[in-house]
Amino acid sequence: MPPKAQFTREDGIYHSFCGLVSVGWLYQKIKDSFFLILGTHTCAHLLQNTMGVMIFARPRFAISLLEEADLSSAQPAIADQIAEITREHHPSVIFLLSSCTPEVMKVEFEGLAQSVSTPEVPVLFVPASGLDFTFSQSEDSVLQALIPFCPEAPPDDKRVVFLGSVNDAIADDFLFEASRLGIPVAGFLPANHFHELPPIGPGTIIAPLQPFLAKVANQLTNERGATVMSSLFPFGPDGCRAFWEDLAAHFDLKVDLSEREAASWARIKAHTDLLKGKKVFLSADTLLELPLARFIRAAGAEVLECSTPYINRRFHARELALLDGVRLVEQANFERQLRSIAEEQPDLVISNIITANPLIGHGVVAKWGTEFIFSPIHGWAGVSTLVSLFTRALRRHARLDPLGSDPVWMAGVMPGAPEIIPLTRG
Amino acid sequence: MRLAYWMYEGTAHHGVARVMNSMRKTHAVFHAPQGDGYVNTIFTMLERTPGFPAMTTSVVSGTDLARGTLRLPETLRQVEATRHPELIVVVASCSTILLQENLEIAAHQSGLSCEVMVYDANPYRMQETAAAEGLLTELVKKYATPQPLTPMPSVNILGPSSLGFHARHDLISLRRILKTLGVAVNVVAPWGASVDDLRRLPAAWLTIAPYRELGRLAAEYLEAQFGTAALCEAPIGVQPTLRWLDAVIEQLNAVGARLAAPPSPLKLPPLTEFSLDGMSAPSNVPWFARTADMESFSGKKAFVFGDATHTVGITKFLADELAMPIAGAGTYLVKEAAWVRSQLQGYVSDADFLATDEFQQVADRIGQLRPELVCGTQMERHTGRRYDLNVMVISSPTHIENHLLAYRPFLGFDGADVIADEVATTCTLGMEKHLIDMFGDAGLELVESPVAPSVEPVLASNGNAVVSPVAAVADVVKPTNGHASEAQPSNGHAPEAQPSNGVASSAGAAASGQATPMPVVNPVWTADGEAMLKKIPFFVRGRARGNIEKYAREHGIAKITAEVLLAAKEHLGA
Repeated sequence: MPPKAQFTREDGIYHSFCGLVSVGWLYQKIKDSFFLILGTHTCAHLLQNTMGVMIFARPRFAISLLEEADLSSAQPAIADQIAEITREHHPSVIFLLSSCTPEVMKVEFEGLAQSVSTPEVPVLFVPASGLDFTFSQSEDSVLQALIPFCPEAPPDDKRVVFLGSVNDAIADDFLFEASRLGIPVAGFLPANHFHELPPIGPGTIIAPLQPFLAKVANQLTNERGATVMSSLFPFGPDGCRAFWEDLAAHFDLKVDLSEREAASWARIKAHTDLLKGKKVFLSADTLLELPLARFIRAAGAEVLECSTPYINRRFHARELALLDGVRLVEQANFERQLRSIAEEQPDLVISNIITANPLIGHGVVAKWGTEFIFSPIHGWAGVSTLVSLFTRALRRHARLDPLGSDPVWMAGVMPGAPEIIPLTRG
Repeated sequence: MRLAYWMYEGTAHHGVARVMNSMRKTHAVFHAPQGDGYVNTIFTMLERTPGFPAMTTSVVSGTDLARGTLRLPETLRQVEATRHPELIVVVASCSTILLQENLEIAAHQSGLSCEVMVYDANPYRMQETAAAEGLLTELVKKYATPQPLTPMPSVNILGPSSLGFHARHDLISLRRILKTLGVAVNVVAPWGASVDDLRRLPAAWLTIAPYRELGRLAAEYLEAQFGTAALCEAPIGVQPTLRWLDAVIEQLNAVGARLAAPPSPLKLPPLTEFSLDGMSAPSNVPWFARTADMESFSGKKAFVFGDATHTVGITKFLADELAMPIAGAGTYLVKEAAWVRSQLQGYVSDADFLATDEFQQVADRIGQLRPELVCGTQMERHTGRRYDLNVMVISSPTHIENHLLAYRPFLGFDGADVIADEVATTCTLGMEKHLIDMFGDAGLELVESPVAPSVEPVLASNGNAVVSPVAAVADVVKPTNGHASEAQPSNGHAPEAQPSNGVASSAGAAASGQATPMPVVNPVWTADGEAMLKKIPFFVRGRARGNIEKYAREHGIAKITAEVLLAAKEHLGA
């Protein structure tokens, strides 16, 4: 047994988004889908601001807007809206997402979704409210809703299903790699289209690509008898080697990828040289933090803290084992983190998108954690992108002249003119 | 319930955040689920704040609700310990307000030494501007204290705020003008004001509140309660700025005359003193508008849509100072519709006026009008992209692209120049345009992508987004919105149709035509029609395509051949 990693849970006075923001990539991934959020003005304002989606002209998501008069009705009437969506967007599937207000109103979502669902255009309930779900977590809910639409695979169909939404280039990379190693592939969950979902059964090996999908993985075991691979997530040379070797082992293939790993590290040596001995503080909210910390540590950096919204002892077991000795925090208190940053003087903070600019204003080199969610960092082909996300901020700040850190250049930018006491020394 | 794609106004708690983040040593606390703190992002990203915005979410989770845990007192204590505010304003969210908790008691129990105010911003009854205006007014009522007037003429400036449209630049412009006049600024609020500054408000001789949305009610309160004169006009454009200057001088001199020891009356200095170098024209607009090059603007029609202040100011500016015809105007601030309407008497007819906060309706109106210039919000850029129209942003909501570094006020003489430049660079050029119209592409011809209906969003970076004829037709015909998608032509439902005269040239046409349903025809382009269309300069081609399809629909023509195109051109006078 590997040593059990210790983590603490704080009170979650932190900055993050709710599960609705997963829509930002899922509607693009599942190309014939539509996402309808039963929510308020707040949900609509959140979506159009946080995801930078104001620049998109034709989104395939919308808010079924709860207004004051709707608060008293027992069950919201959305049939007309579903009809409008079907007419305008011709989706193959509509995801009906919950949000905080209807949760508080105790709207019976399963029944609501069923009442408007048709065999031609199923309407699937997806719990996503900020009361219970953070950021990337509602991808887990969306995939759970898709399980009934995955064909049942017979017991002798022994193939892998990759779990988690990745773009086509990454998917091709995984297909190519699997075929090179002789691993048979049944498909991806989610697929690009609703009717392309992979068959899943007792012979299926589920290979998780994303660390925020614990529940759907569990459900695939319970409902279909599938085997969920426990390995590292395929980020970085170390993660990719473990991932593919472990996956091959499930197919009784013994492969040794040590040379492949070494070559991959060698290709990014210029980056890892820069990272060596650097103190990195992960304080982001994407749920990618554990594997990112494991990779950056393997790359030679010192991880001061890795905080993440939730840790799942079983789903993250292999990552946790490699993070022994690192301070791991669930639902971190942001004010405490600021004190830790001032004490420990990290060279780089991986923050959420909300706090990045203020951290930089306080003299910290900060990088958006959100960018890792939107970048192709999976697999062997993603290694270079992954490592350069860490080094780009370091290199850029090293090249900039020091003028920008003098408060005079920030005068008047913020109307409340708060006194900014730098968190960094020297 | 309705289907909503985009919102013009932010939420009530966003409005509260704007006031709190504007002020010194104040803080907003949201009693809300995780996610409602997204408003922080708007400040840190759009305003690029080097400090942490003055707002904190006291997270309410499903587990907390089940257990009856209330984290608010602890959050308030943490905020006081780390941020040292003089005032904390607590607001509930759209979900927590349904719980009907007593936040007053919770706030009281936290035992803070700073002041804590629970602000009753019901998110179902008020949105961003009402919440911000209500809070600022409440704070002014709470803190403004009777006191003697300043010995020399002074003004308050109420309204500039965090995330206000070009607010920082407007404030610089106003300060420059007042400095030239020799008038001191007593207090600016909420921008940079402390609670103490609010106490000092009644010392000013006059309150300037240029924005209809924020500061006006507080100015009116100061006038009613303390007799502080109020000037609630927006100096947008050269003529309004001149009138505004006269009013400032007149109102200040009236106050001075009543003093025991009146200072010498203010006089309007030579106008050149208002310029940046003190020796030039204060604005170049009056001369610019008369230049020969501007001749080509005289026929360009504009549609203006935004908040109340900017819709009124920009519409008048385009009409009065650049002599542009107004195709229509409107506001998303429905509660201000009557005021905007009355301000624009003589500029737009009732039929051409639009008051709605539904994006689809605005998009439809623009699709019908196809104006040569759209002055709108960030949202109208979506619409402009779809119809290949020129759009300039004149009002919130904004995009990061609207938060530029250089000095770009909308108020005062400096503002007039900024707006006129924006109009000129947004519209296509003058004489050069004639040359292109005559002889083709000026070497700029872009390869037009094949017409392919697409369900994918059109990215901002794609400046040459092509609208497929199917999509364009569908967009115009569908009554509800323009989210046309797959290749299926949208046969079979009644169109909210086009102006009967078919040309987007008459300002009143679109609205009046709405009542006349037309049979649905989705014309297709033949190869020779497409080839002919390609000879039309690329930057007007999208609009030409729309107009020709409109012509075809109205004449029941199913196939647009070269012949039909020529007939349409003749009919449209293009």
